[in-house]
Amino acid sequence: MNNNALWIILQKLRTPLLVIIVTYSVAMLGMVLIPGMDDKGNVYHLSFFDAFYFVSYMASTIGFGESPYAFTYEQKLWVSFCIYITVVGWFYGLGALVSAVTDKTLKFEVMRNRFRKNVQAIEDDFVIVLGYTHVNAEIIKKLHTANIEVVLIDDDEDKINFFMLEEMKHDVPVMVGNALLTETLHDAGILRSNCKGIIALFDNEEHNFRISILTKFLNPNVKVIAKSTNDEISKSILDTDIAKVINPFEVFAKRVDVALRSPHTLVLENWIYGNSDLSEKPLYLPAGKYLICGYGRFGKALQTKFNKYGIEHVFIDAKRLAHHTMIEDGSFIRANPDDKDILLDVGIKESAGLIVGTNNDIDNLSIVITAKKLNPDIYIIARENTMQEVSVFQAANIDWLFVIEQIYINKASMALANPLKHRFLKLILRQKENWTKSLINLLKNQVDVNPLLKRIDVKENTTYALYHELLKGEEIEIDVLLCSLENREKRNHALPLLLYRDGEEILLPININLQVGDKILFACTKESLEEIELIASNIYELHYAKYGKEKENPILRRFFSLAYKNKGIK
Amino acid sequence: MNLDKVISGFFFILAMTINFGFFYGDIDNPELHSVYELFMALVVSLISTILKIGDKTQLGAVLLATSLVADIQLIAAVTVWTVTEYLSIVDVEAFAAIISLSGGALLANITSVILYIGETLKSKR
Repeated sequence: MNNNALWIILQKLRTPLLVIIVTYSVAMLGMVLIPGMDDKGNVYHLSFFDAFYFVSYMASTIGFGESPYAFTYEQKLWVSFCIYITVVGWFYGLGALVSAVTDKTLKFEVMRNRFRKNVQAIEDDFVIVLGYTHVNAEIIKKLHTANIEVVLIDDDEDKINFFMLEEMKHDVPVMVGNALLTETLHDAGILRSNCKGIIALFDNEEHNFRISILTKFLNPNVKVIAKSTNDEISKSILDTDIAKVINPFEVFAKRVDVALRSPHTLVLENWIYGNSDLSEKPLYLPAGKYLICGYGRFGKALQTKFNKYGIEHVFIDAKRLAHHTMIEDGSFIRANPDDKDILLDVGIKESAGLIVGTNNDIDNLSIVITAKKLNPDIYIIARENTMQEVSVFQAANIDWLFVIEQIYINKASMALANPLKHRFLKLILRQKENWTKSLINLLKNQVDVNPLLKRIDVKENTTYALYHELLKGEEIEIDVLLCSLENREKRNHALPLLLYRDGEEILLPININLQVGDKILFACTKESLEEIELIASNIYELHYAKYGKEKENPILRRFFSLAYKNKGIK
Repeated sequence: MNLDKVISGFFFILAMTINFGFFYGDIDNPELHSVYELFMALVVSLISTILKIGDKTQLGAVLLATSLVADIQLIAAVTVWTVTEYLSIVDVEAFAAIISLSGGALLANITSVILYIGETLKSKR
């Protein structure tokens, strides 16, 4: 129903309209029936039109005076009664109209209609973002750079108003609404085929779980990105495979795992996220004893990794308790980690590393400063919860800073905006140290220190020539795309990293025949990217790259043969 | 018994009966048609329109539509009457237009009452 707003107004105005009609008609009838006297002393009656005219300006308190002749006392008596009933009725009606227009339900309906229309008008792929937070704002910006539209819902009107003041690259339809209701998700266009994902990063993780389930039932093709740090909820989401879960603690623990196992992979990862280039030194965690402040979700996630590699570690936490075996073997101490004496007792002078991971940024900073004083050489890993304090943390000279909000932003925007990059990242995280090390060397030698990561899809509107040749049944190897156009024997500075074909992932594809619908991730320089795109979309360049000779121009040939034919007829 | 139903039924039927009262009589004889009746027909018709607002069912929508038709025809009749009177056009054609407009409104009112009766009979309560 599109005219809900109109119905709301009409329903609210029922009684006032009745009051106006009744008071007007009573007043008019009286004016017509009561005899008056004209300027010559004759008796006359007002016509209905006279009465309507008079009552109209009387009720609205405009008051043009007595018409058509001055009233007699009988008429004045009736008019003085009418003034009260009609004026009151009129003002009541006006008041009701104003209150109906400013009514909350009405405003909501109007906003909702506009929101729905805007969502319906989106033709490109879009993502639904639930809640306007600092993190989501960054994600929206990243999605916009990848040319993905965004729809935003928040239950707080102030936040929506605040968002409207922000400058965005694309128009974002916004609505104030409860994201936990199916109706709201419907309005946000979750059933549409170009809705690619939904981002639920609420602090209340049950909300995220609920939204994951709702989305799965409403439209299983929509990718859900949900935050979950609670093991039970994460497990039930993962078991049912309804959403992609972001657990920043797990993410970081995994990185520690990777850093211990194959430090070069982290260099690759940082490059993929665009944080640094390939020349960065791989990070070798120093060997020795580690002190970990905070035994919450973060500490527990790290514990499994440290146990896996048999690294000596001690947890310090003032609030939580660990299993008694841990207290007995000295790997848990219940104390305030911000205390100098405690740190000395635990043995900070002999420790190799300190991991500061409480959920309070100020505590974290203060622990870092104390620890630096006691042992200036210690390797420090610190957790930063919100990005607002980023400059302070940078100034603290921390070896490895782990920003929780940054993880949400990176993970969510990568999974939705660059699914191919995301797949590649997942694949390389499983690789061994030697493999990643040689890949980095290969990239540095063949491509660049900081190669671009570009995706090329084999479909008509992006790779015209390739698509049509493949449709004709030609066999084209992926290596054709890598030829240098100046000299076919040389290769340009590009390396295909991943080929994705109907659920099949081929890492570093070489000598593989392309197919329509393939998605390829290239690491390349800017110039080589232009060459690749040229080969893929221009039939002449493709022909040259494949056979090493120029292709004859079919249009010119047809033109010549046509001209020849015409001549023959003449 | 529901007081709301009594009131709305009263106004729906009153709108039809008053309208009939005005319409009945020779079409070209002004003496047989009272202006007061026309006025009351319009007022009652407007009131019954307001009473029909708010029912979002299919039948409610049709009832509202018939009422709006009656209102428009009666307002047209009143306007024609006023204009002819003030421009002093005493014309059989104009008067016949007034009566036939009210006749159209009468048909709309009859439709509305028939629908209303139908709904009442269908109701199980």
